[in-house]
Amino acid sequence: MEKLLYIALFAPLVSSLFAAIFAQRKKMQLVGIVASLLIIISFLASSALLSHLLSGGAVVTANLMDWIVVGDMDVKFGFMVDQVTAVMMVVVTLVSAVVHVYSNYYMEHDEGFNRFFSYLSAFVFSMLVLVMSDNFLGLFIGWEGVGVCSWLLVGFWYYKPDQPREVNPSISPSWAANEAFIMNRIADLGLLVGIFILYWNLGTLTYSEVFANLDKLSGGLMVAAAIALFIGAMGKSAQFPLHTWLADAMEGPTPVSALIHAATMVTAGVYLVIRANPLYSQVPDVGYFIAVLGTFVAIFAASMALVNRDLKRIIAYSTLSQLGYMFAAAGLGAYWVALFHLAAHAFFKALLFLGAGNVMHAMDDELDIFKMGGLKKVMAKTYLYMGVASLALAGIWPFAGFYSKDTILEVAFNEHTYGIWFVLWLTAGLTAFYSFRQVFLVFEGDERYKKYGFHPHEAPNWVFIALLPLLVLAIVFGWWKEEFMEFVTLILPPYEMSEETHHVAWILILLTSAIAIGGIVLAYIKYANGLKRDPKIENSFIYKLLQNQYYIPVFYDKAIVKPYAELSDIAWKEIDLEMIDATVDGIAKAIEVTGDKSREIQNGNLSTYLRWMVAGFIIITILAVVSVVIK
Amino acid sequence: MSNILTVLIFFPLVAGLFGFLVSQKSIRVYGIAVAAAEFLLSLWLWFSFDMKNAGMQFVEKINIIPEFGISYYLGVDGISLFLVVMTTFMTLIGIIGLSIKKDIKNMIITLLFLEVAMVGVFVALDVILFYIFWEFSLVPMLYIIGAWGGEKRLYAAIKFFIYTFAGSLVMLVGILYLAHLYQSTTGEWSFALTDWYKLQMDLDVQKWLFWAFFLGFAIKVPMFPFHTWLPYAHGQAPTVGSVILAAVLLKMGTYGFVRFSLPLFPDASVSAILPIAILAIIMIIYTAMVAFAQKDIKQVIAYSSISHMGVIVLGTFAMNVEGIAGSIFLMLSHGIVSGALFLLVGVIYDRKHTKLMDEFGGLAKVMPTYATIFGIMTMASVGLPLTIGFIGEYLSLAGFYKVSPIMTILAGTSIILGAVYMLAVLKKTFFGPITKEENKSLKDLNAKELTALVPLVAIVVWLGVYPKPVLAPIDTSTKALVELMHQKAQTKEAKATILVSKTKEAK
Repeated sequence: MEKLLYIALFAPLVSSLFAAIFAQRKKMQLVGIVASLLIIISFLASSALLSHLLSGGAVVTANLMDWIVVGDMDVKFGFMVDQVTAVMMVVVTLVSAVVHVYSNYYMEHDEGFNRFFSYLSAFVFSMLVLVMSDNFLGLFIGWEGVGVCSWLLVGFWYYKPDQPREVNPSISPSWAANEAFIMNRIADLGLLVGIFILYWNLGTLTYSEVFANLDKLSGGLMVAAAIALFIGAMGKSAQFPLHTWLADAMEGPTPVSALIHAATMVTAGVYLVIRANPLYSQVPDVGYFIAVLGTFVAIFAASMALVNRDLKRIIAYSTLSQLGYMFAAAGLGAYWVALFHLAAHAFFKALLFLGAGNVMHAMDDELDIFKMGGLKKVMAKTYLYMGVASLALAGIWPFAGFYSKDTILEVAFNEHTYGIWFVLWLTAGLTAFYSFRQVFLVFEGDERYKKYGFHPHEAPNWVFIALLPLLVLAIVFGWWKEEFMEFVTLILPPYEMSEETHHVAWILILLTSAIAIGGIVLAYIKYANGLKRDPKIENSFIYKLLQNQYYIPVFYDKAIVKPYAELSDIAWKEIDLEMIDATVDGIAKAIEVTGDKSREIQNGNLSTYLRWMVAGFIIITILAVVSVVIK
Repeated sequence: MSNILTVLIFFPLVAGLFGFLVSQKSIRVYGIAVAAAEFLLSLWLWFSFDMKNAGMQFVEKINIIPEFGISYYLGVDGISLFLVVMTTFMTLIGIIGLSIKKDIKNMIITLLFLEVAMVGVFVALDVILFYIFWEFSLVPMLYIIGAWGGEKRLYAAIKFFIYTFAGSLVMLVGILYLAHLYQSTTGEWSFALTDWYKLQMDLDVQKWLFWAFFLGFAIKVPMFPFHTWLPYAHGQAPTVGSVILAAVLLKMGTYGFVRFSLPLFPDASVSAILPIAILAIIMIIYTAMVAFAQKDIKQVIAYSSISHMGVIVLGTFAMNVEGIAGSIFLMLSHGIVSGALFLLVGVIYDRKHTKLMDEFGGLAKVMPTYATIFGIMTMASVGLPLTIGFIGEYLSLAGFYKVSPIMTILAGTSIILGAVYMLAVLKKTFFGPITKEENKSLKDLNAKELTALVPLVAIVVWLGVYPKPVLAPIDTSTKALVELMHQKAQTKEAKATILVSKTKEAK
């Protein structure tokens, strides 16, 4: 079993290094094939570990070697595959494998083909380190590793120039990459502080030991640790107010968006909260805060998706919104539900993004859905795939999202947090609306793209075969809800619905389904028969507000980025050069001048010497008199 | 080889003198050979070093002036061992990467003399001997900046010299007073540091002496507000000068804190935590901002050095094993990484004779290998786990967390602000379109540059993944150091702050 663990973990690393050897060469198909195969191997090993655990096997652990051993700190490269990790591993490697295969198609004409696979596999490795580590510092390795890979991949087309925000809201790939990295670093400081708190109070960073000794933490420290760790989670999972990077990260190639910015990396924050559930269970107030924030982000992000015209940004906002759902579930203590939605979301969202990749390929990288329309004639298969993914996202029976999202709503109801329930319910309607607004604007209605001279074409058949696993899972994954619950609650706390909730469950389901279907119908009425734009609405304040992301990016620019740059400039020019350094030079100058002046005392002129003598005599006399008087 | 330390000190000196006889043409090979031999000797020192022994090893002691207790007294422990190895290694790398054409013979001989001083500082256990090496190190650097520097080289060189020299003089007064104190307490003269360790001092005396030493070390580090000589020195120094300055010379200051300030004046050190931590936090945040404002790549790296040195100082004054060992590791990693970054800036300067970021842009396309290595070093500089930069920074901050959570959070902004200025450099220099026609034909790294840089990349990854061979001896000696401090500490506050082991404390 240990062998399987290492195969699953290191196959992606080998893949990355192999591709790195050829990173500067022209495209080699071999690199893409080898990389994909290695990721598939990693997926198979992960699946074997999962089936081992499913058949009642013991948790698999492995200790590779010492890492940081100083003072009382003893951190090893330790790995552990329990039920939660196994689920994460299979989700990560499955989506990764599909994305790797798909990238052979999507990146086929890119000059950075080999480099791309190197980065992509490195990401998979980092993500596996993140979920497989048995301690917080190991998690932090993966945490930072995925951050760097995300930085590399968002900025993959680094040579593109900066554009004004009005032209391109994410400015440029390299800008977006830096924004993502820095914003994540802000959150990482929180995570580090959480680690420090645990280390100094419990003397260990290993999960099992930390959670076994939680009672040694005082209440205040427990809250502090929970908050600090959650700040880390907020960065990776792009929760408000650290959310702006995620939409801008869409500057990366679409397979990257599918893998990193939808299915896996952004869920790392949710994973952290699930993993630290013994801690969060002890501090329900923090949990409640997490749930409220998640709920807010759910509707906040959904609202921005309502008016957006950018194919990828719409999906990015929906990711943000769904992450909010996951945090709502985790915050309310339903950890397994959060994990269930995490997995379901990974499948259908990756499918949706890769479908969007097909569309982009067909449309020469055009992203404006107002310029598309009627694509179903040429892209029927992509329509089907994206349609299924959107149905799952909208939470329509019997697709995966129906089961996972509905359970979250039930949890909110069960906790008597009706406010949360209502907002999430409303968001379900918005989700259905914006998802199908996008689908219909792209595939139905008049063929607006002809006006712009596009010649769309469908992706080759093998691409659809490669996407098939995601398609199937987007449909059937929800059917395993009971089995999933039984499996992961072996280590996660079970979550029981009250009798009362059971009674009204079918009403809740009906309500949710009604609003979701309502959203789809509304989208159909408005957009399926072509695009009818209403300048009155588009010029309204709310529309503009949503379109400009509530002006938050502009606000960050004006309130943080610019002042920081200006303050830095002042620190350098006014303080460092004009004050501190000028003082140093001033002292030196003063000494020089004093020396220069006092040279005159010894100019060899006797009468000068006499004058100085008299002056000196007078001064000494005065001093003597004064000192006597004072005494 | 029981006198390996003497060999390590004097081999470059002798070889340097013989260098005058070597012809201009073959001096390069000669220099590399000597530096390589010296590096191998230091490796030998490492491999024959007893990792379990926390005390001084390879000790040599010869009385020179017995009447005053001045002796030729050398030794290494886990704290100084790797500083020696890093010194010989970075000197070798510096000589390999040398791109100077003018007077290359003098340059190499100067570098060898500088190596003598640097190794001497780290292995000297007699304080007079230490002081001689300490001051002697100024001369070759003065010459390197003054003779091979940029336009304002004389101003920069003299500023560097006088500023650090002034600080050292105050330290000398402290040294002499301490010797006098030792004599009046014990009845005999001694300048042996290990003897001084045993000396118990009044709190007031400790405080005065602490600040006297502090001034000498702080200017060297350089700590805010004594740092303004450094940007000039870096701005004017040739590449190799900056490499050695950042990698080794600055570490002499922080080494001084660990070797002198902490064990000699434990109570004063503890009571100085607050002001020093405030200075360190200002260093971290303020110089990171100044670094962000720079337009010249080299100045960014120069200011970033100050910022990172702030983390080192903070870790040193954490007064626990985690923090001190972390700060020592960070000295090494910062030496490797900042040395590499200065070499990298030198590469571009050799090609275009400018270091202004505005002159570049899009270089990743024309110089992919260069961009890759620059990227790796950037990631090491911002403390990415599994690179060498993470371990020291993490441990330093973790250590100081025990002293003050709030101040640690302030200092922890280093991981954010470091990313801000380094990523800005990457973006402006390597990303975006190539805006200047002449940059389209820039050549990627040549064999010489690769020879200098690839070993650094290897170390960055190796010690990031597997720091144990270095961290274990540091840990052993740091534990001994902290125990000594704990034992010597007189005030309750100091006893409580100097933390040998928290598990022990719990019992």
